[in-house]
Amino acid sequence: MSGNISVERTEQETTINIKGRFNFEMHSQFRTAYQEDTSKGKKGRKFVIDLSGTEYIDSSALGMLLLLREEAGTNESDIEIVNAKPEIKKILETANFQRLFKIS
Amino acid sequence: MKILIVDDDRINSTILNRLLARDGHSVVIASDGVAGVEVFHREQPDLVLMDIRMPRMNGYEAAREIKRLAANRFVPIIFLTAVTDEDSLVQCIDAGGDDFLTKPFNRTILQAKIDAMERIRRLHGELRRQKETVERHQGQLQQEMEIGQHLFAKIVSAGNLLDAPCLKRWTSPMSVFNGDLLVAAYNPAGGLHIMLGDFTGHGLSAAVGAMPLAEIFYEMTAQGFSLSELVEAMNAKLIAVMPTRMFCAACLIEVDYRQQSLLVWNGGLPDVLVTDKTGRVVRRLASNRLPLGVVALTREDRKMEILEMKSEHRVFLYSDGLIEAPDSEGVMFGMDRLMSHFGGDVQPDKIFDVILHSLKAFRGDTEQCDDISLLEIDCSRAGEEPPGGMPRRSEKSLPPAPWEMSFAFHAGTLKNVDPLPTVINAVMSIQAPTGHRERLYTILAELLSNALDHGLLGLDTEMKKTPSGFIEYYNQREARLNAMESGFIKLTLVHEPVVNEADGRRIGGAIRIRLQDSGPGFDYTRVQSYLEGNAGHGGRGIALIRSLCSELVYHGAGNQAEVVYQWTYQ
Repeated sequence: MSGNISVERTEQETTINIKGRFNFEMHSQFRTAYQEDTSKGKKGRKFVIDLSGTEYIDSSALGMLLLLREEAGTNESDIEIVNAKPEIKKILETANFQRLFKIS
Repeated sequence: MKILIVDDDRINSTILNRLLARDGHSVVIASDGVAGVEVFHREQPDLVLMDIRMPRMNGYEAAREIKRLAANRFVPIIFLTAVTDEDSLVQCIDAGGDDFLTKPFNRTILQAKIDAMERIRRLHGELRRQKETVERHQGQLQQEMEIGQHLFAKIVSAGNLLDAPCLKRWTSPMSVFNGDLLVAAYNPAGGLHIMLGDFTGHGLSAAVGAMPLAEIFYEMTAQGFSLSELVEAMNAKLIAVMPTRMFCAACLIEVDYRQQSLLVWNGGLPDVLVTDKTGRVVRRLASNRLPLGVVALTREDRKMEILEMKSEHRVFLYSDGLIEAPDSEGVMFGMDRLMSHFGGDVQPDKIFDVILHSLKAFRGDTEQCDDISLLEIDCSRAGEEPPGGMPRRSEKSLPPAPWEMSFAFHAGTLKNVDPLPTVINAVMSIQAPTGHRERLYTILAELLSNALDHGLLGLDTEMKKTPSGFIEYYNQREARLNAMESGFIKLTLVHEPVVNEADGRRIGGAIRIRLQDSGPGFDYTRVQSYLEGNAGHGGRGIALIRSLCSELVYHGAGNQAEVVYQWTYQ
């Protein structure tokens, strides 16, 4: 029982919607979702992770966000996490991810 | 394909033989059941065509025997029958037959059935090979798991002090390996370091990361490094060795009974709870740092929360597996349910058990999906020694010899580095007075912190007497340390062997430690008299030094202290 990922792309932005459970089973789906935008050293693209449909998030999912951050250029990366439910926002904040990502 | 025909009717078997040979099969023939089993055993055919009614042993019995002999190998048996009534056919299948062929034989049907059986046989062979491969891998995995478990147990629990009287703990790993790392050890001055770490994921991959952390934890704690330095070293290690998507949410706590203080560093674990004598939560220490192994730490990141420890305090530390434990409906145990056990009718010393009981009732038989850990620190027992006494590091013992060492630490160094581990490790490597490490550490720790706090930073011990002053003291210390631009501490250690006058043997040594700071000095006569009548928070250090050393004198304006520590050689 895991989630489902859909991707929308515009000129500058990639939005990744995660529905259901965002856990270790989503690893390859999540990677596939952003990889074409980070491969071949592409930089400067904005990523929006939309968690409005996310019911659960575990530490493996936090790890995947770190991986995206690294592949998108670490400190130069522009990643925004939006629409997280309060309990999910709490998990992100416990890990102090607001220091690495924009969370809104 | 090699095919065995078992038939007492010579005409039948001749017809079949000819049909099969024409299709390129090699054929062996037996004329009754007993002979059929014998030939099967000798020739190991790939398929058997079996008549039913035969002398000596009928086809059903022979089929059973052949299936038994074939064991794991799939050898299809096709019964040759003239009858097509249901009962006979059921009997064929019961005896282990895989198909039947009615007489008179039709060549096309015979070929089709043999081809079909061949496909099943190949599939069967493939399955068997796969099964063998899986079994082999499983065996290897099992062995590797056992080795891993051994290493894990040795490294993680090496000298672990979770049986310290002030600790109560409960852990429930979800697999063989626990992804929650729970370790505790005493530093040389008797302070207790405790760490709970929760790695990304569970099982083996999480446990692999736990090993280097446990080693750093024990080694650096034993050498007298501070929690900040442990955090720095662990973080650097994880960044160096772990893949990006793995990190470790961790909380480190130091229970310093002598200073009556608690130091807490929380990077990614749920709120640490501190309760008072009624069991009410009086402090919630939320995570204010990133977990270990994510980014390089700044000076701010290494900073600890400091709390004044009271004997009524209990500290509760747990992994997110506790609050995220689901019931059968998938509802989580939750922070609210956890908090409901505090501050009610439950006696403070029962809260730990009540939480576990509540969790157990909540979960029922629901399968565990994360490692769960819960730890309680009972501050009223923080001063008690563990069963079996304080652990001693085994040090090599070197015969007493004369030596001298001197150090000078300037403001720029003192701001960033605690000089104590360096000094103590230098002494231990040149002289290693067995069993004296802890006492030397304590003496040097007190002398150095007096010189820094009072000499260079001008802090007043009196401040520490009230709870608010206690926190203020450490805030001011931090601020003044950051602002310090000049100043130094000079430390000289001179060692002389002590000789038995009767036979000239070296029976021990005396270390003369002289410490000078660049501060204005202090009125040590006042401090001494204060100490004699008071056992409050501040100043107890000098009383301690007095009890461990044979001499303590101040020179100059009080900015030079000299002590002599004597030890005996065994």
